[in-house]
Amino acid sequence: MDTNSKFLNPRINNGGLVHIDMQPSTTTSSSDSAAEGGGEAKWASKLLRECAAAMSEKDSAKMHHLLWMLNELASPYGDTDQKIAAYFLQALFCKATDSGRRCYKTLVSVAERSHSFDSARKLILKFQEVSPWTTFGHVASNGATLEALEGESNLHIIDISSTLCTQWPTLLEALATRTDDTPHLRLTVVATTAAAKSAMKEISPRMEKFARLMGVPFEFIVIADLNRLGELTKDALSIREGEAVAVNCIGALKHADVDERRSVIEMMKSLNPKVVTMVEEEANFSSNRNDFVECFEECLRFHTIYFDMLEESFAATSNEKLMLERECLRNIVRVLACDDKVEEHDSERREKGRQWSERLREAGFSAVAHSEDVVDDVRALLKRYRAGWSLVLPAEDDQTGIFLAWKDEPVVWASVWKPSK
Amino acid sequence: MNDSTASGDDSSGNQAAPPPPKAIAKKKRNLPGMPDPDAEVIALSPKTLMATNRFVCEICKKGFQRDQNLQLHRRGHNLPWKLRQRSSTDAKKRVYVCPEPSCVHHDPSRALGDLTGIKKHFCRKHGEKKWKCDKCSKKYAVQSDWKAHSKICGTKEYKCDCGTLFNRKDSFITHRAFCDALAEETSKPPATVSPLSPPTAASSPPPPPPLPSEHEDSTQTDVVLPDNNNHVTEMLESVKPDSTSGRTLDETPVMTNLTSGSSSNGSSSSNVFASLFASSTSSGSFQSQTAGFSNLFQAIACSDPTPAVAPSSSSEPVALGLAVNQGSSIFGTAGPDHMQYPPAAPPPSLSATALLQKAAQMGAAASNTSLLRGLGIVSSSSSPSVSHDGASLAAGLGLGLACDSGSGLKELMLGTPSIFGPKRTTLDLLGLGMAATGGSTSGLSVLMNGGLDVPAATPFLGREFGGQDIR
Repeated sequence: MDTNSKFLNPRINNGGLVHIDMQPSTTTSSSDSAAEGGGEAKWASKLLRECAAAMSEKDSAKMHHLLWMLNELASPYGDTDQKIAAYFLQALFCKATDSGRRCYKTLVSVAERSHSFDSARKLILKFQEVSPWTTFGHVASNGATLEALEGESNLHIIDISSTLCTQWPTLLEALATRTDDTPHLRLTVVATTAAAKSAMKEISPRMEKFARLMGVPFEFIVIADLNRLGELTKDALSIREGEAVAVNCIGALKHADVDERRSVIEMMKSLNPKVVTMVEEEANFSSNRNDFVECFEECLRFHTIYFDMLEESFAATSNEKLMLERECLRNIVRVLACDDKVEEHDSERREKGRQWSERLREAGFSAVAHSEDVVDDVRALLKRYRAGWSLVLPAEDDQTGIFLAWKDEPVVWASVWKPSK
Repeated sequence: MNDSTASGDDSSGNQAAPPPPKAIAKKKRNLPGMPDPDAEVIALSPKTLMATNRFVCEICKKGFQRDQNLQLHRRGHNLPWKLRQRSSTDAKKRVYVCPEPSCVHHDPSRALGDLTGIKKHFCRKHGEKKWKCDKCSKKYAVQSDWKAHSKICGTKEYKCDCGTLFNRKDSFITHRAFCDALAEETSKPPATVSPLSPPTAASSPPPPPPLPSEHEDSTQTDVVLPDNNNHVTEMLESVKPDSTSGRTLDETPVMTNLTSGSSSNGSSSSNVFASLFASSTSSGSFQSQTAGFSNLFQAIACSDPTPAVAPSSSSEPVALGLAVNQGSSIFGTAGPDHMQYPPAAPPPSLSATALLQKAAQMGAAASNTSLLRGLGIVSSSSSPSVSHDGASLAAGLGLGLACDSGSGLKELMLGTPSIFGPKRTTLDLLGLGMAATGGSTSGLSVLMNGGLDVPAATPFLGREFGGQDIR
């Protein structure tokens, strides 16, 4: 699988002509350059940017030349550069041939056909084991949720997230071991994708079983009759009198249509939750969605960091890594080569923490700082992973939430909200 | 103890409120923190309580942290014999209540017999946890607890039934929830008592590694559970003799030396207990909490023995504890509260909590903690079990513990009488042995709860012990 990793290391000059060095690229050089975030020294980024620019300038000859070149150099099984080249090349190619939609649907159906609960579970748990990418948000959100619900005896957590319940076992354990009486917990999971819906059939008995094991009185509800998050209503959640409601929103709002986001957040507000925890990856494919080059740059920036992280976190031949990369391919094609009206599938218009904060404030939420304890928990979490991870606290006053950073690049944003008084 | 016991305390506190059934009333006297009614109840303000050296020698005014130390010191003054004796009021037993009004131990009827005990209890339960572990961010109110934890934090491994090893608690917990080892049993119908297999847990030599379903069947045959049996089964997987020799042994080589004799008779399993304790004090040779526990249970299950007691109840003493606890410890009295939740969300099993905790929460703790907790689990469940499930279950519990843990614990007790404080606890323990037939298992409960609440045990039993258990 990694046979191409000692691929030739080409460099290009401004004219788009390529000089190929005969020196093999080493893994260290690629990871070093990743620290720069933008990947200045990386041939793939350079070629891809050139190509995107040529495309937007409608410089067809240059574009074809670069596409051809990328095609020669790229490989989904190579080093990070080659992978980046391969996946973005596909998006550029789709864009050029206006086949993004078809390509995306094919990719999704391939993924769905090969999807199984077993592989999804393995993937998620393995990812959690090697990287805090997801666990960061779990720890931050669970900690904030537990603090906000402390002393309540009837909890209702509404889980609008893509975590497939993997964040809940530790919360159940924490509930079971907290000093006051174990509260009753209702957990309502909103599943909008086919994969999540089918996985919930497996997860549901597991969660119930585990709650019994932990001695937490537990009720598990799956809302699986929605196609979009925008369809979720307050009625469907059947909030009960006397329940302390918490809304957990991890990696889910980015899938809502951009136009629906406001209404989803307002719906959350109407639940009068004690707390809303929100975690999203720190990328912006939203405000720049009408500027192809800008959006491309941002997409490339984010995924370069992500691929670098995957490369260093997983073993070279990890199947899980490959699956995560393929997920990226779908997202990249979705963002760069599809119009926003791909039916029946989720948006990938991510927004950065600052943008989400604005939305939440507009809807009547106020930010709550993570407590010192939760921040400590997150720090302790990061210590157990390899070097390269760090916690970034909000620097400016108008910034909210905390960031997980990979090589000093903020990559995941976690925040806590309460309805404004 | 920890929350499980805390809840247990609550429940017993609740039991005290309405006129309790006779069985419970009988038990009540033996519950932890149930002092001698004649004892002098001392209520100290938090400040006084936390003050050091509050035992002052009336001769030289030197202060001591502990009464015992003061008494030792007084001897050095070479007083006339008369004076050396405590005055009549001194001789009166003193018990101490927790200054926190909301605490169960604030009630004089639940006072603790040891000042240091109440001090640490107050600190741990109601004090600020200002000592935080760097590695896992677990917090402690008592510095010594924190120190003890820090030394071993992250050095323990967690092992799932599926064989996967974890060195972090939360990974283990998440995995455990999603692992098929847990799910397999979920998919089975919450079996009722199965007529298929006879209660064989004790008798036969282990058959070749059986199918999971066999586990379940035989498990459930042995014990009549109030509800959600599968609950118990998962716990019992490692308890069964066959799984013990098949699975557990393979998976936990560390334990092999301990388990080797466990299938033969009671005395060998008492060795297991003894070894568990011994090794725990010597900072734990066990790599895996799970292993420690399997073996604890294994010891109970395998050695199960004596035909003298009703076989049905005897075969799965642990199961009984688990089953019973579901309704009891958390919700106070088992009976009525038990009905509070719909069948879809059956009442929780505190013992199960503790069981996972044994592997998880205690993770960093020395394995002695888990053993104690394990015993605590059984014991805390025992008193409700009598009222809830009938005497035969309790008898089973009693039997299991009487046969192996009885002797093992006795050794422990004999070796270190100071640990569990009042001597009557020991007697209760032995009484527990008798209880195998009588159905009263309160003794152990006293031993465990009372014992654990007495922090004098902490230094002896292991550093983690007190911190984990009193909180």
